[in-house]
Amino acid sequence: MKSLRVLSAMVVAVLIVGLVAACAPAATPPPVEAPPTEVPPTEPPPKKRVLGVTFSWPTWIDPAVGSDFSSTSSLCNLYDSLVFPNTAGGVDPQVAESWEASDDGLTWTFHLKKGIKFHNGSELTASDVAFSMNRLLEIGEGLAYVFLGVVERATALDDYTVEFKLVEPSGLFLISLIRLYIADEQEVMDNIVTPGPYGDKGDYGKEYLMTHDTGSGPYKVKEFPLEEYLLMEKYEDWFGTFAPNAPDEVRFIATTEAATVRTLMSRQELEITDQWQTIEALNALGEIEGVDVAAFPVLTEFYYMIHTKKPPTDDVHFRRAMAYAFDYDAAVALEWPGTQQSRGPVPAITAGHNADVFVFQRDLDKAREELALSAYADKLDEYSVEVHWITEVPAEEKWALLFQANMAEIGIDVDIVGTPWMSVVEETASQEASPHIVTIYVSADFPEAGSLLKVRYHSDAAPTWSQNEWLLDPALDAKIDDALLTVDPDERYAKYKDLQDEIVDLCPSIFLYDQVQKHGYQSAYVDWPAARGEVIPVMGYTMFAPVIGVTGP
Amino acid sequence: MSFIAFIVRRLVHSIFVLLGLSVVIFIISRIMPGDPARMAVGARAPQWAVDNLREQMHLEDPLYAQYYYWLRDALHGDFGISLVTRRRVADDIKEVFPATLELTLFAGIIMGGAGIGLGTLSAWHKDKWIDNVLRVVSYLGVVTPSFVFAILFLLLFGMSLKWMPTMGRISADVSRPSSVTGLLIIDSLLAGNLRAFFDALWHLILPGIALAMSGLAQEARITRSTMSDNLTKDYIASARSLGIPEKVIMRKFLLKPSLIPTVSILGLDFAGTMSSAFLVEFIFNWPGMSRYGINAMLRKDLNAIAAVIMILGVVFIIVNIAVDLVIAQLDPRIRLAPGRGE
Repeated sequence: MKSLRVLSAMVVAVLIVGLVAACAPAATPPPVEAPPTEVPPTEPPPKKRVLGVTFSWPTWIDPAVGSDFSSTSSLCNLYDSLVFPNTAGGVDPQVAESWEASDDGLTWTFHLKKGIKFHNGSELTASDVAFSMNRLLEIGEGLAYVFLGVVERATALDDYTVEFKLVEPSGLFLISLIRLYIADEQEVMDNIVTPGPYGDKGDYGKEYLMTHDTGSGPYKVKEFPLEEYLLMEKYEDWFGTFAPNAPDEVRFIATTEAATVRTLMSRQELEITDQWQTIEALNALGEIEGVDVAAFPVLTEFYYMIHTKKPPTDDVHFRRAMAYAFDYDAAVALEWPGTQQSRGPVPAITAGHNADVFVFQRDLDKAREELALSAYADKLDEYSVEVHWITEVPAEEKWALLFQANMAEIGIDVDIVGTPWMSVVEETASQEASPHIVTIYVSADFPEAGSLLKVRYHSDAAPTWSQNEWLLDPALDAKIDDALLTVDPDERYAKYKDLQDEIVDLCPSIFLYDQVQKHGYQSAYVDWPAARGEVIPVMGYTMFAPVIGVTGP
Repeated sequence: MSFIAFIVRRLVHSIFVLLGLSVVIFIISRIMPGDPARMAVGARAPQWAVDNLREQMHLEDPLYAQYYYWLRDALHGDFGISLVTRRRVADDIKEVFPATLELTLFAGIIMGGAGIGLGTLSAWHKDKWIDNVLRVVSYLGVVTPSFVFAILFLLLFGMSLKWMPTMGRISADVSRPSSVTGLLIIDSLLAGNLRAFFDALWHLILPGIALAMSGLAQEARITRSTMSDNLTKDYIASARSLGIPEKVIMRKFLLKPSLIPTVSILGLDFAGTMSSAFLVEFIFNWPGMSRYGINAMLRKDLNAIAAVIMILGVVFIIVNIAVDLVIAQLDPRIRLAPGRGE
């Protein structure tokens, strides 16, 4: 008891010291007598407009590292790019004033606007653009896959002219530049850590850029406590235009926990929720006064990727039988109202989408007819089809169970296996290890059909998670390559449409639905263009804060 | 001498325990499914980027060589680079450990204080209505996971009543004190920033109580049970027959010996809370080490997993030694046992 008394006394003493310290006047220099002046009445500072958004974490704000939704949402606010995506699926000039391509399509030259300032006050020049591209290519992470194998090298010709040498012509090169976020070369190189994995460039500034930005974008990093939130503040000298009520601060919060999100929304401490809330959670959010659910189509499609080199799904008639037996209406009904069954291998909002492509509908008679034509018609009891769904997306199990029930109706035995994402990445790297079917959402990098067709059906992408089909069809590869090399958009789109017909005919996938991205948001005081249908169809850009108006709470 | 010998012996034992723990966790983290390098650089990164990272991390070397590199660096306080945050794990830990420590210390105080208090009350009023109510409540507390309390508190006090803050360690409009200990309530007092002190304390209440509930109920049950047993002992009857006031009997003769099992369990509960706080930390968006550790496991962040588990191991050992010391003070028989105390 004595020691307890001593402890109590110590605690009280600490509190008293704290109180005394708090009450003590701060150490200040001796006062200087100033001439008497009339003090104007002070007004309270205007309340800051804050936009809070929850995200699945982590967020990487290094332009050579980040590539997911929260990272791209951050990068487009912190950095500028040569061109900027628009709602029509094309690009507008941003840092670039103009550009031209050589006749052979191998050299692209960009002329930059003058006077663009980085957040540290130095001017953005062509050297920074070239540096950002070359750094991305050398590190090879994050969004580098967009340029690897396409861009050979970037060179600054003078302060305001930058040249890109391509490995081969590419119809997607211009639009791909929306993913080249321009960093300040000087600031990055001033903060490299040596030794590091990149020789004389040390760590190439990776450690510094995990928590600092070196961009010129509309917002700059204010605070970035680990795994808690990213707080960005308005960069008043940004060369672009802010909406009248654009947020003064943008806070990306590291949580997707439904109860937390709901509480924050009801307290008006959160303006827009993450996209991972369940339908039940979204319905609950919609019941909060002043909160609505915004749902808009994005460049993402939900596929059942069918292995075309493994029995029994190596038989096109077997695959078509499954495609006819699946109940698409029931599958779509499991999603958010307004979700549409996919029409072919690319989402309907993608430029170059073929609206006239054949679409499978549930028809058990046709399914049985196709099954009878397959080489496995008499051997169904010898095979079972293994479907792997991603355990990190629990809702996928619903569709897997529906698929299993539908296939049982035509005598196909289906095993469904919940599989962690990284195991799927590993097993799809090998033709032998890939299962019969994997259920995956795949997003187009750019709002153009070719970017998706390449990763979904070209042999180059076969040993990746974005393709379980293993088509390995040289003729199809040649046609995809040819379409991507076509610089004229109309001609390119026509080739994409032919490709979609051909792919549907091979039936290498079941095309379930085009994903609708859903967010709860404070409709009472947030003017969010995406909620009004003005969607920039590129990952991350729906959270481009300068165009979002915040008038409350 | 013997007290120092006791401490030294426990510390020597601890070194072997930690060494064993490091081997086990190292092997488990290496044989988990999924390529950590691929996970770190992204599913679409070229293979050469994955291979480069594997080389940097010695992942191509035999397991024993990897362990050697890891142990050599860990002994110098370098747990390597996190595959997720891309920073030194030691730097990450410096940020997240104080947050969890502050939360669990707060929860531990509630667990100990309220648990012992309610247990004593219950034992003192054994088989009366107050005892019956407390027993039912403590049963509920033991069987209800802390995350259920966390969600209930969040929805009730955060969403419906809007009384309490629901996210993080401090409000956005309150300036953080500069970090001295990393514990915000201590740092704010040191800085003389009372606004930050009360704000940080306010933020601790819901997650702290949610985290403490299960342990609190456990401590109450154990205290009640031990005190009830001791109440029937001859020495208590003897003390009563001598006319010693009930309050003195309670304080001097009953409470002290009855606390031994409670303190043992309290120590384990406290250390366990540090590792099991992740759901509470998720719900209240508390940037703590428990959440960091679980995220590391989900993302196969090898170095972070190993560091977090080693730190938890050290915490368990320290708490156990502390518990032994407290028990030795409470029970002279333990203190005076040969080779154990003085």
